[in-house]
This record gives sequence, structure tokens and C-alpha cells, in this order.
Amino acid sequence: MEKKEKIGVYVCHCGTNIAGVVNVGEVSNWAAENLKDQGVVVSRDYKFMCSSLGQELIQKDIKEQGLTRVVVAACSPHLHEATFRNACKGADLNPYLCELVSIREQASWIHTDKVAATEKSKALISGGVARVVHNEPLEPLHVPIHPATLVVGGGIAGIQAALEIADAGFHVYLVEREPSVGGHMAQFDKTFPTLDCSACILTPRMVQVGSHPNITLLTYSEVEKVDGYVGNFVVSIRKRARSVDEASCTGCGICWEKCPKKVVDDVFEAGMGNRKAVYVPFPQAVPKYPVIDRENCTFYIKGTCKACEKFCPTNSIKFDQEDEIINVEVGNVILATGYDAFDARRITQYGYGRLANVFTSLEFERLSNAAGPTSGNIVLRDGKTAPKVVGIVHCVGSRDKNYNEYCSAICCMQSLKFAHLVHERTGAEIYNFYIDIRTPAKGYEEFYHRLLDEGTHFVRGKVAEISDAVRLPGEEGKLIIQVEDTLTGNQLRVPVDMAILSVGLEPRRDAKNVAKQFGISCSSDGWLIERHPKLDPVATVTEGIYIAGCVQGPKDIPASVAQGAAAAARVLGKIQQKEIALEPIRASIREEQCSGCRICNNVCPFNAILFHEDKMVSEVNPALCQGCGTCVAACPAGAISGTGFSNQQILSQIEGLMLLNIKTQIDTVPA
Amino acid sequence: MKEFAYFPGCSLEKMAESYHLSALETTKKLNIKLQELDDWNCCGATTYFYIDELLAYTLCARNLAIAEKTGLDIVAPCSACYKNMYFTAAHLAKDADLAEHVNFALEEDDLQYNGQVNIKHLIEVFAQDVTAEEIKSKVTRPLEGIRVAPYYGCQIVRPQKEKEDVEQPQFFEGILSAIGATPVNYPLKMRCCGGSLIISSRTAALSMVRNLLQCAVDSQATVIATACPMCQVNLECYQQQVNQEFGANFSFPVLYFTQLIGLAFGISHKKLGIGKEFISFAPSLLQAGQRKD
Amino acid sequence: MTDTIAFSQEVSNLLHAAEGEPTRACIQCGTCSGTCPVAGYMDHTPRQIIAMINAGYKDQVLESNTFWYCASCYHCTVRCPQDINITELMYALKRYSIWKGKHKEGLVGPTFSEAFVKMIVRGGRSFEPILAPSYIFSFNLREMLQEVTNATELLLKGRLPVIPARIKRLASFKRMIGRIIPMGGLE
Repeated sequence: MEKKEKIGVYVCHCGTNIAGVVNVGEVSNWAAENLKDQGVVVSRDYKFMCSSLGQELIQKDIKEQGLTRVVVAACSPHLHEATFRNACKGADLNPYLCELVSIREQASWIHTDKVAATEKSKALISGGVARVVHNEPLEPLHVPIHPATLVVGGGIAGIQAALEIADAGFHVYLVEREPSVGGHMAQFDKTFPTLDCSACILTPRMVQVGSHPNITLLTYSEVEKVDGYVGNFVVSIRKRARSVDEASCTGCGICWEKCPKKVVDDVFEAGMGNRKAVYVPFPQAVPKYPVIDRENCTFYIKGTCKACEKFCPTNSIKFDQEDEIINVEVGNVILATGYDAFDARRITQYGYGRLANVFTSLEFERLSNAAGPTSGNIVLRDGKTAPKVVGIVHCVGSRDKNYNEYCSAICCMQSLKFAHLVHERTGAEIYNFYIDIRTPAKGYEEFYHRLLDEGTHFVRGKVAEISDAVRLPGEEGKLIIQVEDTLTGNQLRVPVDMAILSVGLEPRRDAKNVAKQFGISCSSDGWLIERHPKLDPVATVTEGIYIAGCVQGPKDIPASVAQGAAAAARVLGKIQQKEIALEPIRASIREEQCSGCRICNNVCPFNAILFHEDKMVSEVNPALCQGCGTCVAACPAGAISGTGFSNQQILSQIEGLMLLNIKTQIDTVPA
Repeated sequence: MKEFAYFPGCSLEKMAESYHLSALETTKKLNIKLQELDDWNCCGATTYFYIDELLAYTLCARNLAIAEKTGLDIVAPCSACYKNMYFTAAHLAKDADLAEHVNFALEEDDLQYNGQVNIKHLIEVFAQDVTAEEIKSKVTRPLEGIRVAPYYGCQIVRPQKEKEDVEQPQFFEGILSAIGATPVNYPLKMRCCGGSLIISSRTAALSMVRNLLQCAVDSQATVIATACPMCQVNLECYQQQVNQEFGANFSFPVLYFTQLIGLAFGISHKKLGIGKEFISFAPSLLQAGQRKD
Repeated sequence: MTDTIAFSQEVSNLLHAAEGEPTRACIQCGTCSGTCPVAGYMDHTPRQIIAMINAGYKDQVLESNTFWYCASCYHCTVRCPQDINITELMYALKRYSIWKGKHKEGLVGPTFSEAFVKMIVRGGRSFEPILAPSYIFSFNLREMLQEVTNATELLLKGRLPVIPARIKRLASFKRMIGRIIPMGGLE
């Protein structure tokens, strides 16, 4: 005869949230009477079980009545499972012997028929009681946390995160795809709303990152493979061959000066300027070592030239240098890979790519940058003519169901900044075409007022098209921006010399692949998904992987920096704890029943199942396993069970729900 | 031999007879058979939809049902007919309730429509059902030196059907290149000619026509090629009125693209209905060194 | 308490192809009105009309010439960032206007379209000359003369139909229409 468990049932009113629909008193009494032979020794109802008084009720019963199992019928476990488990722990009952049944989200909040909801609640509790009998006391898994961290992406968010962790005394591997850190911020001229020189505030941080004793800076590198789990990631990084020996190169610049091969710089100069085949992306690049672009270098194409090698004073050009694979062990990862700009060619009626003097925002940043291709002179495509009339178009590719539905957050401020720069540097007349002016953060609205004062014409209307087809006198040789001024209700044709398209922000083209590599997900838009949109913006559902900056969604520099710092703080917290407790809800494989078919290996979305070649059996790595249950269902031999979700537990719960184990007959719920 | 159910539309009988003639001549040369739909009725242009939606879909669906009996896909040379029938078919496919209503009415004419017909615009036949090489192979008198403004108009590409380019399509230019002509960059090629506004809001329509003509002149074209009878009539037959209203002096030839193809194929002017225009194309032909037939 | 239906809902009810109330999605960006080739001739731009519909200004909407000047070119529709089928909305307003018999004075559109549909019901095919009376009298002398000149030239070029075309199965055609609309309204 099995020793019967002593079960306590607690039915919460949740104010009127539950009690307003479900007759909690009736349910509690019913449980006491009908679930007695399953082990229920006490059944109570109470106004707010999650309050300290409610918790003390449970703890008192555990101590005085020697309860061995607890069932709480209340809200969704997402909210208070931890609360009640801790309460049990406080009374020395293993927390995994406490089961939550949701009679709020699953009954009172979704039904209006009170009688039916009450009956359903009884059934739900019956299911919970039947299940909890089979619960086993479980202990969370403790895994150690490796103190090193991997930061992927060397833009402002990644730099911030890396510096915070490094300053705290822990090692960081900072991986950046481009030859230099800096990201998009390095391309800008001034930053809003303070009009700080972008490079001036960024480069000190870049230098710090390049020289910090706790940071291993791996530029011109990409993550190839990620294995492992929180606290114990093994990451394989491909350090691409620069063809330059970093040990001896002094960054003197003679190589790129002497290089005869000019290449259009599509990345840093946004196609507005050239670089050489051997180059640093910009003068303040960190690290200072140049890179040979093998696709465009004459030596790699034809086998001739070698001018750089000839002139290098330290003999640092190494044409036969090969990619290096570096394996690192880290405890946590921060992904800060940033954004790509919307491709304005998709909006053909705006003429980008077809009409010469239509520019994108990134192109304009390079134009206005003093170190840019025109030395900061704002001129047309011919490189010399200053525009007399400039039109700045907001919302290009954003807020538009035909392209991206979301608002890109920064373009209004960016457009205002452009208007200011044009005003400052040229005598041009300026038009801003907008739908709404979005200036939410500190100093932003005041910046808008400053622009109003400067005399920029603000036209409230989304630009319909930009054309060079002349219709009226005065339009010859101009770009005509056709738009409705919605505030006056007139269709306007505004002739301009230069049109600047404030293009929206989009996820990186390969964001989905990066997410997959690290085992996290993207939203349908392509941004990496945070754990909770409001309360947990830098964590992800995968333990140990954090996100920061624009990779999570469009945002300005202050917000990116804040997220970089937040992610760093989370990582430091984990490192400091030295080990992490993982939920014991995991799958486990009964070796004797495993036939070695390896079906489970392939279905696991977290790559958590290893195969032992010698024994021909699979084994679940409990640290990587997230308890999703896919392998449990997939195993043809039924050899896998989920701790906390065993077949016995699930089947009993189903029987309980159907009231199969109740001796007295209950009237069927009215239809 | 490709065969289609041919829906000429009301204007092709007289007003745009040259479109009808040149369509048949050129498709014949390309081994395409246009089998006129039996007892077809007016597609409704835009006006049916001003009165009643259900009636409009029904009147259009009658033609679809007649075509379905032949087992052929429909080809319509007129953009309005094309658009109406395409979207009637699309709505009937998506909305079973609408289809039921419409079929209930069609019963009276012993017809039913079961969604089996595809609808194409005549120009799509030249752009998709034959290759540029096939067209080139039939050209005996390439239209060298003739600068053509490819006027798409509105209802060929709009509303958008799938993911096709609605702002800068190039298929018309492709056909013109295949017959040896020079398609010019015509910025207003997707703009509306005014359609029925020429009757109901004359001044507005005349201003739209004026812009199109001026743009053709500015693009240095010698002729505008159209693919819709409404466009041709608006652009050509009202140039006098445009001149009077706006103090201009346009005298710009406007032909159907099938007439241009026919010329390149060496078909006689008479067979292509050339000579029915208000503004003769002959001077431009002579200027370009083409022989006059 | 009377259950009055909002004007925007009334308009949406006439839009078979649309779901819900499409005017609600409008963010008043003005793309439609910036694109519209006829906007300069309209009392109110298409965007303004949508704002007026949402605000319930029924009489003002019906009094405007906007939707009667719509050429159905669909350019607004393909560009609208909120995917509103504005052209269909204009059709719905025309239908509403004719149904209620309320529209701005001096518009050719209403009489022309009614005459057109009656012509089709009569013969199944279009015959332009029969439509002339529905609009020619709204023209001033100069416009009338222009129209006559045009017609003459079309006639001389053999482009004007002189004999009305008819479909063969006219009787069943009329019965088919009768299953949709009571014929009294059209004959």
C-alpha cells in the first residue's frame, strides 16, 4: 500500500478577478470532499494567496499538518510560480512539490458563464492534485560561470559593454567584422541634439578598447561556431587575414599612400568616396593596422604590383598570411551587431539611384563630415556645386506597410540635424517634409524649436514622388518634390537642387543567421527578440546571451549606450555569482531504452543532445536543455522523459481533468 | 499556336478599330490566335461601379463565364476591360458569398463561373507569351530612328496584383526595343490620361493630357505608343482642345503599340488602321527615313 | 436609445472588397493627395475627405466634388503606407451619393453614369452617341462646339459608331440584371 501524500489545496479569490466569476468557496469545499481519497487533507480559499499572509497560510499548514504536496489554484504560473515555490522552500518543502493551477487565465478571465467556470475550476484542481502526487523533489542544476565574456559587434553599444566589463576586472573578447571598431557612429559628422562631433566622443572610447589590458580586440573577424551553454560557451572565431603582420606594423600609412589601386568605398564612405586596395577604413581606425582587400588587390588578382611590400619600412606586408581560427571559452555573450540602412532604391518614385542629386542619410553624413570625401563641403554629385534649395524627406521606408511598418525612431532628429548642418554650412533654403515630428528624448523638442528659429520650412506631408520632369516655369534643371501640404490642403511642387532621404533602420541582412548561431530568435521584422519587451530589454530567452543596441530595434546613441551598460551589468552580476542555478525541468534519456537512432539529436532546437559513439546512445546535456519537450515526443522508443513533465504526471493530470478518479458522479456542465 | 479568348471591348468596334485590326494582324504573325468571345457584353468601364458593386461584378462575370466555356484564357486589349475582369475574377475567387450571388444571377443566362479563367492584357501577350527573339525574327522593317514614348497609363499595372513593379516597369520598353524603335525615358509614363474625366470633368482631364503631351515633347519622342483605347482617344483627339485651353500648339502623333509592331512587321498601313488618326504619323516616319506605304 | 450608425461605417458597408472600416487606418500623411493627378481640381484633397469621413461630416463630404473628379488611376492606392484602397473608397462615395440622390450641383458624373448604365441595360454594349445628351448641355458654347467638331472628325475618320451594337441574348441578360437590381430603377 503506497504511502499517501498529504496534499493542501489553496484556492485564491484574487480579489474579484477569480471570485467574481468562480464560486471559490464551493470549489474549495468540493476539493476537500471529493479529493480526500487522493490525499487532500486541507482545502482553503483566501482573498490574495500571493500576499505574505496567504503564503504564511501555506507555510503554517506544511509545518503543522505535515503536508507533502501543495496545489495553489490562482493566476498563471508565469506570475507567481516562483512566489509559491519559495514559500514552500521557506517551510522546508521542496519547491518542486508545489503545483500551480491557473483558474484565472484559464477560467475566470475567459468565461462569462459562472456555473461553467466554477465546474471547470474544479476539474482543473482535480487535474493538479492528480499530477502533484507524481511530482518528485528536484534540485536546480548548478553550473559554473566562466568569467570571460564575448561581445559581438564593435559599435558604440558593444564598446560600452566591453569597457564596463573590462573595467570591472574581467576579460572580454570583442569581435568586429570590419577592420576597425566604431560602427555607424564613426561615419557621422555631428550627433543630435548636442551637435557633439561624433568622432570626438567616440574615438577616445575606441582607443580605450584597443589598449585595455582586459580586452582582446579581434577586428576583421567573425564568429563561426558557437557551442556550449550558459557559463560555458566555446566559440570559434575566424580572424580573417589582413595580409599585414600586426606585430611589426606601425600604422605609418606608407602602404596605402603608395597603393595604385583605387576602390569605391561602399562601406565606410557609403559609396561617396574611394579607398585603396590596402587601407584603413578611416584615419582614427582602431586597431591602426591596415587590411588588404584581396578581392581588389592587383597582387591577388594578377600576381603583380606589390607596391605596399616594396615600400613598407618594417616589412609587415605578408601576402601569404592565412585566416586564423581562434577558439575562446566564455561564460556569457553580448550581441551588439547594429543595423543596416533601408535600401532607398526600393522606392523607385523617389528616384534614388536614377536621379543624381537624391542622397541617402548615410551619404549625406559622409558629405558633411570634415574628414569625408568632400572635406565637409555640402555639394551636389558633381562635387562642386553648392545647392541653393535642399529638401529633406522623413519616413523613407518606415511607417509604411509597403516597406517597414515600424517607425525608425531616429530619423526625425537626424533630419533636423541635417537641416541645421545645411543651414550652418550653406546659404540654402531648406524644406523638411514630415508626417509627424518625433522628438521624445532629452533636449530633442528644444532642438526642434532651434530649427524652427533657423527658418527651415516645415511641410507636413509625406513626399509622393521626386521627379525631374518639368511642368512649370522655374522647374528646369531641378528636382521636383511633389507633396501635399496637409496643413493647408494644397498639392505642392517644390523645386530643389538636392534631396536627402532619411532612410529607415533595418536589421542587418544576416541578423537571422547570427540569431540562429547563438540559439536566439528574431521577430518577424528581423530584430533580435528580448526576453520581455518592457521589463527585460537586454536579456534573451536563452540564458547567457544578451543583446544591446540597434540589434534589438532602432534607437539613438544614448539608448544604445544604456543598453550596452545594462547588458554588461547583467553579465557582471552573473560572473560575480560564480555559478548559476538552472531550472531542473529537463529531458533525460533512459540509456537502457535508447536504440541509438539519433532522431532526437536532430530535432533538438538547442543542440543539447550528444551522441556517445562508444555506447551508441544519446545523452541530454542538462545545462543546454531548455525543457521544450520536442525530443520526448520524437523518441520512437519512448526512452526520453521530461523531469517535471513525466508521462505519468501528464496522464494523471488528464485523468484528473476528466474527473475519472472521482467516486461521486458530478452533473455534466450545462452546454 | 497559342489561343486566347479575345475580349475586344466596346471601343474597339469603331472608336479604336485600328487597335483591333493591328492586334489581330500582329498576333497572327506571331502564331497567336485571338478567338473573339461569343456575345460578350460591356465590361462596365468605371461607371458600373458608381451605381452598384454587385451589379458591376455580375456584368463582368458574365464574360468570364462565357470564356470559361471555351476553356481559354481571356486577352483584353483595353486596360479598363482588363482591370475590371482581372479583379472581378480575383474577388470571386476570394469571396464565396459574392460568387454565390453572382452565379445566382448568371443562371438566368445559362451561365456559371467557376474561377477557371486567367485574364491577360494584350501587351502582356507580347511581353510574356512570346520572346523578344520571336518578335525580332518577324521584323522586316525595324523602326530605326523612331523615338517612342511608351505610355503605360494607369490600369495596366495598378492596382498591384502580385509583387510586380508598379512605378518603373520596363516591359513596354522591351517590346519597343525588339522592333528596333528607340524607347525614350518618359517620366510620366505611369500617369493617368484622365479616363472618363474627359467627359465629366473636362478641364481637369485636359490638364492631365497637356502634361503628358508636354513631357513627351520634352523627352524628345516622335510618337506616343499606347495600350488602351481610352488613352489614345484622350491623348490624340483632344489635342485641339488642349491647345485652346492652355495656349499650346501640340500636334503629336499617338499610335497603338500594335500598330508600331505591325509597321515593323512590314504589314500594310491599311491593314493596321493607319490613316484613322487625327494626327498623322507619316511625317515622323518620313523623317526617320522609313518608306511610306 | 437610438442606434445610429457612424458615417464611416455607412461608407465601409458600401465597400464590398474592404474589410472593417478602412478609413480608420489613415494617419493623414498626405501621400494620396500628393500623388493624385487631379487633386488641384478637387474641393478637398482625398486625404481631407478621409478626415471628414472619420469626423462624420457627411453633408460636407457629399457636397464636395472630390470623388466625382477621381479618375480611378489607383496611384494613391499603391502608395498608401497604410494599405487603404482609396480609389475603392471613392467608388463607394459615388455609390452612396447616387443612392441618396445627394451631390454637388452642376456635376456631370452622376447623370452621365446613370445614363451609361441604362444604356448597357438596354443593349449590353456601349454606344457613345446616346450618352451625349447626358453631358453636352452642361458644356458652355465653346465646349459644345469643340465636342461637335470632334464628333464630326471622328465620323469622317470612320471612328464614330452610328449603329448601336447589341448583344444577342438580351432578354436573358435583362433577367440576369433583374436578379441583382429591381429593373424599375434602371429603365
